[in-house]
Amino acid sequence: MGGQACVFYGAAQFSKDVDLALLASEENFSRLRAALGELNARRIAVPPFEPALLERGHAAHFRCQGGGADGLRVDVMTRLRDLPDFAVLWARRATIRDEDGETFELLSVEDLVLAKKTQREKDWPVIDALVEGHYRALGGASTPERIAFWLGESRTPERLIGLAERFPNEARAQSIRRPLLRLAVAGESEALRVALDAEARAEQAKDRAYWSPLKAELEAFRRAERAGS
Amino acid sequence: MTFEEMPDEWQEWLELTPLERFRQSEQIFAQYLAMGGSLEPDPDPTSPFYDPETSSTGAAYGRPGLRVLRRGAV
Repeated sequence: MGGQACVFYGAAQFSKDVDLALLASEENFSRLRAALGELNARRIAVPPFEPALLERGHAAHFRCQGGGADGLRVDVMTRLRDLPDFAVLWARRATIRDEDGETFELLSVEDLVLAKKTQREKDWPVIDALVEGHYRALGGASTPERIAFWLGESRTPERLIGLAERFPNEARAQSIRRPLLRLAVAGESEALRVALDAEARAEQAKDRAYWSPLKAELEAFRRAERAGS
Repeated sequence: MTFEEMPDEWQEWLELTPLERFRQSEQIFAQYLAMGGSLEPDPDPTSPFYDPETSSTGAAYGRPGLRVLRRGAV
């Protein structure tokens, strides 16, 4: 997931780290520890790497110091805000194989867009690029699911107005869940831009509220580690 | 920004296949590292992981202050 998945989907040109969504199971944690051991990876930030903390929504952060990945940062999560359990994410994943049979398992672009709805300003242009890239690649092969995705997640007034012109019935139907689509149907570009901004601010506020107790825990972990060091 | 509004470089990037993008990304990343690019995350006060006491413009890995090349689509 994260930046590397964004490269595959065309929303980034490279990423300085690797983000992994992991099935929370003892067997998987053992395999992760073994892999991190091969890379001589060290934890570089709070919290401690504990499955119970990951299950509460925390991330674990490592830096590799060997295995041909010197300096590379690896972040691990098992739970993402407002996304379903790992089993659902896995079932919806995108699988890409190269000519040598190497397999890349990616968070689906739909789930990646949801995961990018964070308080971080830098994530929102990425959502824009993810949806636009998806539409560019598959706009000529529309399905009800794809139309719903484009109408539900596009963040460009011009694209939304174009989609509403192309799929007027779907846009009206989906406006129950995303009211700003009414502005797209009406072709009100400037009002749509304002509504999109308000939509992003509301989502950022949700993310801040989600992270508020977790950030307090992180600060407590930092204080404890500084006191112990 | 719609595809039609994107600079040529972005459009060319999106026209590649996912695997082509990944291979090119590996090359860009290697060039970035060869030029001394930092693997430290950019300081981001809007991130829940931001720690003002440990985040800085300095870099434990690579040369600090180097700008990322060809980063337009991020």
